[in-house]
Amino acid sequence: MDQTFQIILIGALLVLFAIVAGRVSSRLGAPVLLVFLGLGMLAGEDGLGLRYDDASGAFFVCSVALAVILFDGGLRTQLSTIRLAGAPALTLATLGVVVTAGVVALAAWAVFDNTPVRAFLIGAIVASTDAAAVFFLLRLQKLEIARRVTATLEVESGLNDPMAIFLTLSAVALLKLGGAHADLDVLVALRDLTIQMGGGALIGLAGGRALVWLVNRLEIEAGLYPVLVVVACLALFAGAQLIHASGFLAVYLAGLTLGNNRHRGSQLILRFHDGLAWLAQIAMLVILGLLVNPERLIPVLLPATVIALVLVFVARPVAVFLCLWPFRFTAREKAFAAWVGLRGAVPIYLALPALLEKLPEAHAVFGIAFVVVLVSLALQGWTVAPVARFLNLALPPRPEAAVRRDVDVPVGADRDIVGYTVMPGSIAVTRNMAELTLPPGARILAILRQGVVVEGGSTTPLQPRDYVLIVVDPEGIHALDRIFAPRPRRGRDAGLAAIGEFMVDGRQKIGDLGRLYGLEVKPEHAQMTIAQVIGAEFSGHPVVGDRITYGPVELVVRTQDDDGAIVGVGLELEPEADRPTLARLIGARGMRLIEPVRSRLVRLARRRRKA
Amino acid sequence: MELTNVVPPGGVIAHLRVANKKQALQELAARAAHLTGVHERTIFDILLERERLGTTGVGQGIAIPHGKLDQIDHLFGLFARLDDPIDFEAIDEQPVDLIFLLLAPQESGADHLKALAKVSRLLRDRDICEKIRQSDGDEAIYAVLTGTSQQQGAA
Repeated sequence: MDQTFQIILIGALLVLFAIVAGRVSSRLGAPVLLVFLGLGMLAGEDGLGLRYDDASGAFFVCSVALAVILFDGGLRTQLSTIRLAGAPALTLATLGVVVTAGVVALAAWAVFDNTPVRAFLIGAIVASTDAAAVFFLLRLQKLEIARRVTATLEVESGLNDPMAIFLTLSAVALLKLGGAHADLDVLVALRDLTIQMGGGALIGLAGGRALVWLVNRLEIEAGLYPVLVVVACLALFAGAQLIHASGFLAVYLAGLTLGNNRHRGSQLILRFHDGLAWLAQIAMLVILGLLVNPERLIPVLLPATVIALVLVFVARPVAVFLCLWPFRFTAREKAFAAWVGLRGAVPIYLALPALLEKLPEAHAVFGIAFVVVLVSLALQGWTVAPVARFLNLALPPRPEAAVRRDVDVPVGADRDIVGYTVMPGSIAVTRNMAELTLPPGARILAILRQGVVVEGGSTTPLQPRDYVLIVVDPEGIHALDRIFAPRPRRGRDAGLAAIGEFMVDGRQKIGDLGRLYGLEVKPEHAQMTIAQVIGAEFSGHPVVGDRITYGPVELVVRTQDDDGAIVGVGLELEPEADRPTLARLIGARGMRLIEPVRSRLVRLARRRRKA
Repeated sequence: MELTNVVPPGGVIAHLRVANKKQALQELAARAAHLTGVHERTIFDILLERERLGTTGVGQGIAIPHGKLDQIDHLFGLFARLDDPIDFEAIDEQPVDLIFLLLAPQESGADHLKALAKVSRLLRDRDICEKIRQSDGDEAIYAVLTGTSQQQGAA
């Protein structure tokens, strides 16, 4: 009996430590997932001595955890993100995974004389990305990246697991056949793939719809809604997996469907899932860290590191540049997407079936997957923000978010009730509500000052720390945020370069811009505004951070109004000079330090070029 | 391009007193007219036309009004430090106290863009702006502008 409590105590302490360690490490900029994984390893056999080698238990925990994480990812993905980045993300999640797996497999086969099938298994295992880590990291460092790129990476990471899983399972099946029967039946494989993808998509979308319906129809205790959603998610996941459809795709799409339809208890569900997804990440990574035997990693360390480097520097870039080639991305954006091919727990998870099937090469493959993830998390995870600055993709930080609290309103009422704390320095402060231009349909319900309702609220000037309750159309929340958010303080120059030296009004004629700067305006643009010219390049849906080259300059979308129309356009005068430079990586002071050496090198290079 | 070739002697005003953006542009146009021989009104109109396209107040107290002129044959720069910061409709909505005026010949093409980018880069450096704000007199400011501009030019 004591054993039970021991397990509970150890498990709880591990999670507790993980949370504390994650908080501490995030101040150092360390990728928090790496910390969780490291903690597991530290507690394990070769560290504190916790023995854990139950691969099937780990597989169970990780399956549940991944389902929860992917569902949460879908829940938080807005349809606008899908519309923006669906096509490139889907290409990356399918073709990209195959290409990545192929290139890695080629390396594994050529360099370490693996059998082709085994090489293929290694490639497949490490082929899918885990962007959850990246976005967490970016948010932590308050880094804004051009929306189109981040949206693509986000959706890609939600969609690409099924493909990697399918490839992995095919490889495992081939290996089980013992290689004697190495010629895979293409028709069977295609049928399997169709069931995986099609089945997963169908179950996810239908299940999501059913879930929305159920949540909205069922009258239960408020606290039960999140629980209902979780178990439904797990049921969809397991159900899909049992009929050999992709449960991962199913839960992502189900989450997406639920998240983008009005339903009861949405705030409650979101918050619950936020916590749950965290717990899932921690549990999964700590368990995988426990499972691995660092000593056993040593023999595979060298090949695994080489494979990791091939993945990071060859396979992922090839896949990204190939897949994003038909879409409108700048070379720098593609480079960023290539670098942010972060691997999370999925590769290690994917190596588990090999372990469970007791394949002879399982331990080596598991070790390789582990090392690849470690290398990727450390190398890429740690450098996401510097690389974004280096590639000049970091947008200036957005104004601080308004402190908003959402209140659930019964279904049917297409309104939200939101509460804001009036922030010092916001537009709202010192004005009374009659002076503020509220979005249409917005009504102030009450103003609370030091916990007391202010009488005659709409005519008293607002003071900092006042609490304002407003009922509003969901569409109007954005405008409200801007009224209540503190305006940016002066003095941050981060990212100014990324959006151009000067700001011009996108509603002006491009001809005027051309005349003032001596740019040649294409005849078909003669009558168009700057915004229209940019819009034409992005088929009408440009977002902040999108850029086009116009003659010698670049035009960057800087601000949009609520309807998505471009208002502010950054004018980047010397796009060439703003290409990745050393200066951006090490800062002005660092440059001054190394300047003597650098200028000599440049002179040398110039002489050589002339010669 | 070196700023020493762009900002002529007398091209730095350490103490300029103006009340608003329009007056600042007028004063600068007058000084530029004096130094280049181009009509004041012509310069002012060009600057105003550019401001209509969007403010040249780039943030952090800096403005870089600029334009192209038929009547000059080389890049011309003029720098002014304001005694009292003014509202320049800057993108960060902060008052402006350092103004760099840059005029370019009509046919300068890429040189114009390069010079603008260079000035913008220079004034984006916070250390330099601080030095300028603390400098005493036209010459000291000129030295900060051009002296650092050589370092920057190499970087």
